[in-house]
Amino acid sequence: MSLSRIRLRDIIKKQYAYKLRDYIQVFMSLVFIQMLAILFSFNGVGMMGTSSNTFDINVHFYSADIVVTFTMLWALITSILITTQTYRNDDFAFITNRFSSNLSNMLFLLTASLVGGFTAMLSSNVMRILMYVFGRTEYLYTPTAVSEWLIGSIATILYVLLFSALGYFFGTLVQINKVFVVLLPALFIGILIIGAGTMNGTVLNNVFEFIFMESSLVIFMVKIVILAALLFSSSALMSNRMEVR
Amino acid sequence: MSIIECRGLTKVYGKTKALNNLSFTIEENKITGLIGRNGAGKTTLLKIIAGFLRETSGEIEIFSEKPFNNLIVSANLIYINDQMKFPTALTLKEVLHVCASFYEKWDHDLASRLFDYFSLQPTQHYNDLSKGMKSTFNMIVGLSARCALTMFDEPTTGMDAAVRKDFYRALLKDYIAYPRTILLSSHHLDEIEDLLEDILLIKEGKELLHIQIEDLKEWAIGVQGLTTTVKEWTNNREVIHSNGIGLDRMYAVIKNDFSESEKQQGKAAGLAITPVSSSDVCVYLTRKTKGGIDDVFIKD
Repeated sequence: MSLSRIRLRDIIKKQYAYKLRDYIQVFMSLVFIQMLAILFSFNGVGMMGTSSNTFDINVHFYSADIVVTFTMLWALITSILITTQTYRNDDFAFITNRFSSNLSNMLFLLTASLVGGFTAMLSSNVMRILMYVFGRTEYLYTPTAVSEWLIGSIATILYVLLFSALGYFFGTLVQINKVFVVLLPALFIGILIIGAGTMNGTVLNNVFEFIFMESSLVIFMVKIVILAALLFSSSALMSNRMEVR
Repeated sequence: MSIIECRGLTKVYGKTKALNNLSFTIEENKITGLIGRNGAGKTTLLKIIAGFLRETSGEIEIFSEKPFNNLIVSANLIYINDQMKFPTALTLKEVLHVCASFYEKWDHDLASRLFDYFSLQPTQHYNDLSKGMKSTFNMIVGLSARCALTMFDEPTTGMDAAVRKDFYRALLKDYIAYPRTILLSSHHLDEIEDLLEDILLIKEGKELLHIQIEDLKEWAIGVQGLTTTVKEWTNNREVIHSNGIGLDRMYAVIKNDFSESEKQQGKAAGLAITPVSSSDVCVYLTRKTKGGIDDVFIKD
């Protein structure tokens, strides 16, 4: 019997195609989590009030911030989930190697981030409509310019992508050695505590500033893309020698 | 052309050696039975061949390539076992379509006909199937993929007698129509021995025998008679199994390297010489301890 010759690119394409259908649950949970976030957003993300003898003003701010945060969390959990054995072994029922499996996972996560980030941005429109219908008293709306909206979308998508890369990295670590199940949360809490007494310059603060306080869109994009690429490629490298099934 | 070549293959889990310096070669288009007791290393060997596990030391080549993490090897072999996982969100019919997209030589017509014959429901999900149904579905995938190297690891787990029979027949028919290298591991040697050409017997991770199934049938003989006569006749021979019958008679299984005249002498001395079935030979050879289960219950 002659041997089949196959190309890596074709295999990755096929894996990506079946994953889009197989991981449908991921998008269902996205819908659910964003709906939940919209519900929470009704409380407002900020509030300002003033009053005198004759009048009383309360200003509530509403935004899609909570939806974006929840979507980032969703990306983190989703990507951890697809590194688990149940999902990983699915690939090994068909033609694969570890590289193609990782690459098709990353393509899937990229797609998921695009969908997640975009819908998170769109959710502000849903909130506007709901506000209009159920709004408590007076509803004011500041229109956003298209360029601003575009920047917001890109940033959201990139944040979601970064978190999925982080989740994929964590998930891969755990798959390599179960000790990371304990170590990673311990590390996270440790970082929260270290330097907390000194008021400034905690590790977490620096990381936070590096990622969330960037004012230039281009530099921000470069930062996130490099970080995500680093996380993904080190995950791929680590899992390339891993035994399966 | 040899499909599998393996030299000094060793796999260590912690402190136990699952495979211990295993060497063998498997030629193209042969059906080989991989036989061994529980824990002999059958599954470990098959998983290394499939490229799932990495060998600790030694060399292994499938289609002259190292199997671990190798796309060419993965494209040309399929490994079916009872712990298989298919995409959970897809229905059985969809899984078959995904298989069709992956495997170049996939025969979708055959898959559909087998699917209907074993009355599987297209809209069912793999995880909802019973154990036997899962095995049946795995078998359909394994046969239809038509991979140059097809490996079935305990394929009949949970199948009822009728389905098992059908499976062996389907395997043989498809093999004759599309010859390929097949590795079949099973506990039921008596069921599959008509199917096999070669047999690879492993014990504690080592190769014990790798011979044609025809030769295995004549590999050993059994003698029965008075204990003294049997002992005298089997003196200096390799006795692979013996048990007492009543007070003064015994039965012994010996490697068959007797000449015709020696057998005649034995018969003249009142010994009954009988052939030993290949599955019995395998059981005797792979036994880990001296004596049988009866000895466990004798306290003295």
